[in-house]
Amino acid sequence: MSTTFLPCSVYHEDYTQDHAWWQTKFIRGKMILLLLLLFVVIPKFADSYVLSVCNQIGYTILGALGVQLLIGYCGQLTLGHAAFLAVGAYTSTLLVLEFPWPKFLMDWGLAYPISIIAAAVVSGLWSVLFGLPSARVKGFYLILTTMAAQFVTVDFVIAQYVSRIGGRGQAFSLPPGTIKIGPWVIDTNLKVYFMMVVLVILCVIGLANLLRSRAGRAWVAIRDNDISAEVMGINIIKHKLLAFFVAGFIGGIAGAFWISNIAAISYEHFPWFWSLWLVGVILIGGVGSIHGTIFGAIFMVVVMEGLQLAVMPLADTYPKLLMDFLFIKEAAFGLAICAFLIFEPNGLAYRWWQIKNYFNLWPFSY
Amino acid sequence: MQSNETKEGEVLLELEDINMCFGRVGALAGISLRVRKGEIHSVIGPNGAGKTVMMNCINGLYHPQKGNIYFKGEKINKLKPHQRAKLGIARTFQKVEVFGGMTVLGNIRLGRHIHLKSGIASGSLYVGKTAREEVEHRAFIEEEIIDLLEIEHIRNKPVGMLPYGLQKRVELGRALALEPELLILDEPLAGLNLEEVEDLARFILDINEEERWKVTCILVEHDMGVVMDLSDQVFVLNFGNKIMDGTPEEVQNHPEVIKAYLGEEDLYATRR
Repeated sequence: MSTTFLPCSVYHEDYTQDHAWWQTKFIRGKMILLLLLLFVVIPKFADSYVLSVCNQIGYTILGALGVQLLIGYCGQLTLGHAAFLAVGAYTSTLLVLEFPWPKFLMDWGLAYPISIIAAAVVSGLWSVLFGLPSARVKGFYLILTTMAAQFVTVDFVIAQYVSRIGGRGQAFSLPPGTIKIGPWVIDTNLKVYFMMVVLVILCVIGLANLLRSRAGRAWVAIRDNDISAEVMGINIIKHKLLAFFVAGFIGGIAGAFWISNIAAISYEHFPWFWSLWLVGVILIGGVGSIHGTIFGAIFMVVVMEGLQLAVMPLADTYPKLLMDFLFIKEAAFGLAICAFLIFEPNGLAYRWWQIKNYFNLWPFSY
Repeated sequence: MQSNETKEGEVLLELEDINMCFGRVGALAGISLRVRKGEIHSVIGPNGAGKTVMMNCINGLYHPQKGNIYFKGEKINKLKPHQRAKLGIARTFQKVEVFGGMTVLGNIRLGRHIHLKSGIASGSLYVGKTAREEVEHRAFIEEEIIDLLEIEHIRNKPVGMLPYGLQKRVELGRALALEPELLILDEPLAGLNLEEVEDLARFILDINEEERWKVTCILVEHDMGVVMDLSDQVFVLNFGNKIMDGTPEEVQNHPEVIKAYLGEEDLYATRR
């Protein structure tokens, strides 16, 4: 999938050009249009509902990037990624609510940004802890140990202990005005949207850069053939743990981002089903592709929202539909994954690549 | 018989009385081997003789129960494969073990792993050090390896989609990217057609003899024609026991080797 076609009369004269992300003027133009769309067009024309859908897409992308890194690039099957999102969300919440910040940091609105970074690091380290079994086990057995991460973290540590910090019962409420970046209080969907776009772009660029440098190649090598990777001088355990760290790091950012969008945080926001959901996102989008993560997230969120819109009008006649919507959603999720595995096992990213090639090579596609 | 003992030259790799068994099956029994700098040392023997086990012991995938392995005079028994790679031991595999999802360039770049220094922080930014490093190593890969192995036309193709012969060549390129001092070639010619065999034999001679590379090779191979032409020394193994270690001429005339492996009638079966 990585074959690139350069248009006629575009030549590279040094390796830097060949290593660049955007190699032709046309691609640069397209990317500027995309940025315009993200930063100008959508905020200007979308209403609050569309923005909230966009935010959900962004959250799914951020969550699924870590899963994509672990499963798609490093070959470490994981089914407990929601745990690291939860760790990120709770770390950030606790820091914002409970930490005695110096006055000037509060005034400058730096408490939340700093807590995002702290949440990312804590979540990364927590992820390394549960990545340790990957040194010994592979495949299905690793799925079980990562599921342990889910149940130990969310259902035990967070539900039983962390939730009780400060004498609270179940949920931490985030009073309006606590989430503040610099002078802006993050209180509308639009502000959350801008924050989401910036975070998604940063994470995507960071991960994409990692994947074309030393650590990223080592991860792909471990995925493709771990024995020869070790013979080529890669310290496999170290790089697996690095992959878990980076995945947890991005997961922590995702969790810390999400608290800006909700009024109260509870461990019920991070069920095991959400981990499975993230794996579904990358299966549908395309395993081993960053585009795939984005396409998968858009597909899943938009299809589910569409389903909800479709069910609403029927709810008057069949009220049971609304009550059982969760089950409908799960059934649709399962159906979508089955359909993709059968009809497009390489995911949406492969389709995208085919379409792009069709236009790039037109009219002589051989 | 022990003409190797009296030869000149610095010993690069030494196996000393290696015993390796899996459960109660003995794979190697008291194997000793000396590989001198700059030579092509072949290991031959019938199927199941323990050749690949011996290679796995040298590069650390297996740890023998008894015996010592010295590389450049240093004892490396306890080292893991990736630590041995850092010392300068590279290898190719009997069944190609390339990274199918990566491009040819990606595979060879991966071979540079031990020479790269950037960590995840600078890697995720991809400015300054990392970008410079990538360009430097790209230049090395293009000029030294891709040019030597004549794989310019496929550099951006995913390796999994290439034919077997080219995959073998990419695997050799990946091992060379380590700039090893000792290169273990485990049946590099198996499954190739005559033309590819000739090409690859040429490449092996190139990397062994060219001033730029001067890589010492251990060659495990069944193609007797190539083995006898290329090798400086031939080590014959049968059922985990050393039969002899000598020059190609000595090996060809050794009655036990003929009996065990080469066959009585035709001195050696070859593709020619």
